[in-house]
Amino acid sequence: MTVIAAVPTSGPGASEQFEQLYRSSAADVYAYVASLLRDRSAAEDVTALAFERAFRRRALFDVRRGTPRSWLFAIARNAALDELRRRRRSGALLHDVADTTSELEDLDPDLADRRLLVREGLAELAAGDREVILLKFVGRLSNAELARVLRCSESNAGTRLHRAIERLREVCGVTQ
Amino acid sequence: MSRNELTAAEREELDALDRILAREPVSERHLELAALVDSVRAGAPRMDPAFAARLDAQVAERAARRRPRAVTPHLARPGLRRIALASGGLVAAAVAFTIVISSGVLNGSRHTPSVESGLSGAAVTVPRTPASAAPATSKRSVGPTIAAPTAGAGAGASNFAASPALHGAARLVHKDSTLTLATSPATMQSVANRIVAATERTGGVVQSSNVKIAGAASHASFTLAVPSGHLNRLIATLSALASVRALNQSTNDITNSYNQEQARLTDNAATRSALLAQLATAATAAQQTSLQKQLNRLEARIAAEHREIDRLANQGHTATLAVGVVAGASAAKHAASAGPFTTAFNRALHALEAILAIALVALAIVLPFALSALALWWGVTSVRQRARERAMRTA
Repeated sequence: MTVIAAVPTSGPGASEQFEQLYRSSAADVYAYVASLLRDRSAAEDVTALAFERAFRRRALFDVRRGTPRSWLFAIARNAALDELRRRRRSGALLHDVADTTSELEDLDPDLADRRLLVREGLAELAAGDREVILLKFVGRLSNAELARVLRCSESNAGTRLHRAIERLREVCGVTQ
Repeated sequence: MSRNELTAAEREELDALDRILAREPVSERHLELAALVDSVRAGAPRMDPAFAARLDAQVAERAARRRPRAVTPHLARPGLRRIALASGGLVAAAVAFTIVISSGVLNGSRHTPSVESGLSGAAVTVPRTPASAAPATSKRSVGPTIAAPTAGAGAGASNFAASPALHGAARLVHKDSTLTLATSPATMQSVANRIVAATERTGGVVQSSNVKIAGAASHASFTLAVPSGHLNRLIATLSALASVRALNQSTNDITNSYNQEQARLTDNAATRSALLAQLATAATAAQQTSLQKQLNRLEARIAAEHREIDRLANQGHTATLAVGVVAGASAAKHAASAGPFTTAFNRALHALEAILAIALVALAIVLPFALSALALWWGVTSVRQRARERAMRTA
């Protein structure tokens, strides 16, 4: 399902493998981090920091413990949560992500309404539910990868994901 | 049903979700889910092109700056290689440490024999000259003939010859050692027999011996004479027969005494030649009688000097070793009946015991630190992760 890049460890071509992982994940990592932090500037810093950490720690990557993508998202998640903690301690203000409502103006009204509804519904979700949905929908992680990032079992990750989807449906007023 | 268990329909929906994300076709009843995914993805924040360019450049620059070196296939990662090298170094250091400590422990475990050594001379070379080996009363010797300085060369060709004086590095040194062994009363006789046998094998002789077998009061003593060159080998052999309680070695440089006796002998030989020459030309019976008496006294002195020279030479050539064997309960383990293999086995066992003891001590020291560090690391990681999760909940 997901684009699994080659293991970014060492040896000839390791840098190329890392670049491949970067190219396949950078946009998703940024989207995930920005959704968590709701701050474009902080999301840029955290995304850059996540790739810097990933590059520095690529020797520690263990293929038995997950895919490179889940490993990268776990690093990004930790960096984002550290940023949240730092922000909470310092009482920094949120600079919300840029409003993309204007993008919806060019769309079919029904589609635009639905996307707006989902966006607002997502914002209403609990942080844990929102994160699971972002990791799955935006990060395109498998349930096993999700479990690795969230530090839980695969079945627990599946349950959390399904419940989060149900809640999103509820807040959006969508029925199956 | 457990909290984590999903129904078949829920599992099917998650499978459909995976297919949607993989852009594979799904059934009609999952189109709503596909639309939900599309809406979430469409609403996800996108990177600003300027930031994307910056990030591209940063990653490219980072990758170009730190290209990892090629590694061996079995150690695919530099981290592992570093760990392996560090572990190897630690193991080597631990082994070296263990060997150093265990050698000390081994010495201590063998009843800490006291080993003393004294040296009153400078060197321990023991020359064996033909003259020194000759009997004390012998008047014949092979060696340079020393002419009388007063009577002129060749006057009354002398039959007396002296051993050459020792010069330079050639030293005459007497070695004297005492060795105390401990063994069980049951093996006292066996040890005594082995001491005699070992002495004879090394070319020595047992000058005196006394063996008493009386239970715990058993003891034996020997006075051994052995060629100086074989002394250390004999001590090593005897040390393997029983536990060494004490070893005392001393050396005495007798080169000066030897050379002084040689000089006196040379002088007296010259005097004798002169007296013989006078005797040959004596005009009266009284002169002859007087000269004969002087010659007799001189020859007695020369004979005594020969004996002293031979004694000194013999001292330098032969070392004395006093061996005492005492009965000791703690020495019971070191059975005298032990052959070379048993002895070697016992030594290996001692070494293993010591190594094990050192390893246990090292473990006892290192383990608490390692466990503390592990607990600290686990605690810090755990606290940090909880703080992160808390931050997520309050986000």
